[in-house]
Amino acid sequence: MSETTDQTVVETPEGAGKPDMIVLEGVEKIYPGSTQPAVSQLDMAIPQGEIVMLIGPSGCGKTTTLKMINRLIEPTAGRILLDGKDVTHVNGDQLRREIGYVIQQGGLFPHFSIADNIGVVPKMLGWDKQRIRQRADELLHLVGLEPSTFRDRYPRQLSGGQQQRVGVARALAADPPVMLMDEPFGAIDPITRDRLQDEFLDIQRTVGKTIAFVTHDLQEAVKLGDKIAVFATGRLEQYDSPDTVLTQPANDFVSDFVGGGAAVRRLSLLELAHLELHPVETDEKAAGSRNGTPVVEVDGSGKPVSWRHLPGGDAAGTAMVTVPISGTVYDAVDVMLDGCASLVAVVDEEGRAQGVLHWNDLVGGLRTRKGHA
Amino acid sequence: MNFLDYLVTNSQQILFLTQAHFLVVLIAVGIGSAISVVLGLAVSSGEPDPRRFSWDWFATGIREGGLVFTAALLTVPSLALFALFLPFTGLGVTTAVVVLTIYTLYTVLRNTVAGLTTVDRAVLESARGLGYGRLRRLLTIQLPLAWPVILNGIRVTTLISISIAVVGAVVQGPGLGILLLNGISRIGAANSFYQVLAGTLLCLVVAAVFEIFFAIVQRLTIPRGIRV
Amino acid sequence: MSTATQGTVNTQAEASVEEVEGKQQSRLAALWMQHYDLVILPLIIVLVLGLLLLYVGSRDLDTIEERVLAADNVGGLLVQHIWLAAISTVLVLVIAVPLGIVLSRRGARRAQGPVLAIGGFAQALPPFGVLLLMAFWLNFGFWTAVIGLTLAALLPVLRNTVVGLQQVDQSLIEAARGMGMTSRQTLFRVEIPLAVPVIVAGLRVALVLNVGTATLASYIGAGGLGELVQQALRLNRINVLLVAGGVIAALALLIDWLAGVAERVVVARSG
Repeated sequence: MSETTDQTVVETPEGAGKPDMIVLEGVEKIYPGSTQPAVSQLDMAIPQGEIVMLIGPSGCGKTTTLKMINRLIEPTAGRILLDGKDVTHVNGDQLRREIGYVIQQGGLFPHFSIADNIGVVPKMLGWDKQRIRQRADELLHLVGLEPSTFRDRYPRQLSGGQQQRVGVARALAADPPVMLMDEPFGAIDPITRDRLQDEFLDIQRTVGKTIAFVTHDLQEAVKLGDKIAVFATGRLEQYDSPDTVLTQPANDFVSDFVGGGAAVRRLSLLELAHLELHPVETDEKAAGSRNGTPVVEVDGSGKPVSWRHLPGGDAAGTAMVTVPISGTVYDAVDVMLDGCASLVAVVDEEGRAQGVLHWNDLVGGLRTRKGHA
Repeated sequence: MNFLDYLVTNSQQILFLTQAHFLVVLIAVGIGSAISVVLGLAVSSGEPDPRRFSWDWFATGIREGGLVFTAALLTVPSLALFALFLPFTGLGVTTAVVVLTIYTLYTVLRNTVAGLTTVDRAVLESARGLGYGRLRRLLTIQLPLAWPVILNGIRVTTLISISIAVVGAVVQGPGLGILLLNGISRIGAANSFYQVLAGTLLCLVVAAVFEIFFAIVQRLTIPRGIRV
Repeated sequence: MSTATQGTVNTQAEASVEEVEGKQQSRLAALWMQHYDLVILPLIIVLVLGLLLLYVGSRDLDTIEERVLAADNVGGLLVQHIWLAAISTVLVLVIAVPLGIVLSRRGARRAQGPVLAIGGFAQALPPFGVLLLMAFWLNFGFWTAVIGLTLAALLPVLRNTVVGLQQVDQSLIEAARGMGMTSRQTLFRVEIPLAVPVIVAGLRVALVLNVGTATLASYIGAGGLGELVQQALRLNRINVLLVAGGVIAALALLIDWLAGVAERVVVARSG
């Protein structure tokens, strides 16, 4: 297989510089008894360390595509390359042990303890017991579950969200470079799902895996994806960054699928940290500078509690709402609507005001800071 | 002489027949369950691919055919089956064990197939996704998860076997049926009624012993994570 | 409309045409898949009886064997056997089904658990023993056997009925009550119709049990095909033994088959 091991970087507009970890070449799947291909002539490359979201209406072939990467479904035609190596015909079971896999209902083995569930793949790979136990604890820690509490429990003693965390830990156990996720947060209530998504991004920042992620939730795709692949009846309609998919849909299908509200969805792509915010003053200095800058009243720890002065506004009659700077414009709009306020104070991790975002900024144009395109 | 006196006076014979009854059921259920579980494991693979000829075709055929056939055997009255086997296996223990074994097949096979095929699909898919091969999946995931259902099938078939074993006395099979046949042939004679009564009631005692036995086996063999 | 979208619409239309054709084929296939066992059983019966005839036909029967296997002897015992099973099954139904319904009423629910537990355990109570005890209590004869058969089948069928009524979807009952049906209306219009399949299954169980236990009725002088087996054992005639076993087996299989067909018809009707 030496001729295939040195796969060169495929030219992609954004993945330049990063080698492709997963490459699908002319991959096709026709299910027995069907004349219509479920996936037809698919070419796709996923650069190392990126999260690619596969999205589309049900029956569009996104799940089939995902399952062909670890050959749970055998492709009818085409080639699959993992890290430059052709894996189209290697032993499927061996291959799958080197690829993390997370599914919707968690799929934890009910008769295995949590630690044993996480240790499933390492055990097959012949790790010694001590190392497996250490790894399980390490991963439980990573996914935010206290090892001493959860190690010896059984899946049914855990909530859906906790089970899904264990599912992610299990997929990470043997430290595979690639992870496949099939609607992992699909069956979880919205609040927990949101938290799991945040944690998932945190984990990804530490582990830097190459991830293919199937979802039917556009919100999720936009939030988690470095790229989004939109599928329609077995074909890849658009494969681009979330921003591009939302603002420049490749065709009618994609724009129909993205649907109305693309502009609103895009707000969640704009991180407050990257925006040029209006300055804000705290009251110590404010006495001298009663100009156009809003002034906030702070408590003992420096957290804003109310508005002292609003240029051209009623400071006493305006509710004080805050949003963390780690959030997005979407979050800022959410708090403003919720608090019936026309402006919001953006605060840092200690809760100190860093700047102000006005309702008018949304329609007047948001300015990003230099260095952030 | 009242019933209690009868029991005490004949305790040695009664105890012997009760033990024999217990053992013949135990042996038959043991053999039958072993056959059914192994057969169930072998034939409970997936649905056959209509385009490609594979073991799944045979498996599905054996499974469905086997279930229909053993179910039909279960509806055959025990006296008929004892009569049909007598010329081949002779009077005594062998015929009793063979016939009883045949009656245990359906229930255990049905429960084995049902237990193995109703294992949560998500669990099986994630096992496959993590690199579990077919045999490993069958033995370390499906079998332990199906075990409570299989064990319950064995339990039910044991209870049924206890009452069938009684008829085995007709072909001189061992067990409490001997008390029944003795009693009815001596009807009117002393203690004949007590003999029949003791034979009938002691079947319930044997059943109770088996129930305790199965409660312990359940406790010991069902994995902790899925114990109800 | 872009070409991509049009393409999608076209292929979907094609797919749905195929689907309709496929469905007609698969309906026949599904019918076969669901009911093929109904074809297998008569084949087994014919095979058993055929082998038996072949075997017996190839043998020279002595006079004793000929007397026992004469058509009027076997036929008479067969008719007796069918009456035993039929009457006791009707009795079981008349007693066990209403009792099961009463047990499913609110006031009697508490008795359900014990009934189910005892019913399960009673599987180990040998029908043979029940039959013989009846003979001691009453006397030898046909009606004693009928009572014994009825008693032996009562608990299994009662258990089936109670389980069947328990399995009726509680939300349907709630919906019926919510529409203003009285508890009596709910029972007759919702619960019983929905439980019919399980009650019919219970009937089948009773029938099979009674056909089986009726073979033992000959031991208390009530006749039936068990008489053939007894005679064969007494006379030590293997040919008679095989014929007796074969006829009994064939009868039981046939009756179970008929009950199975009836069951599917009823279940299909009640949706």
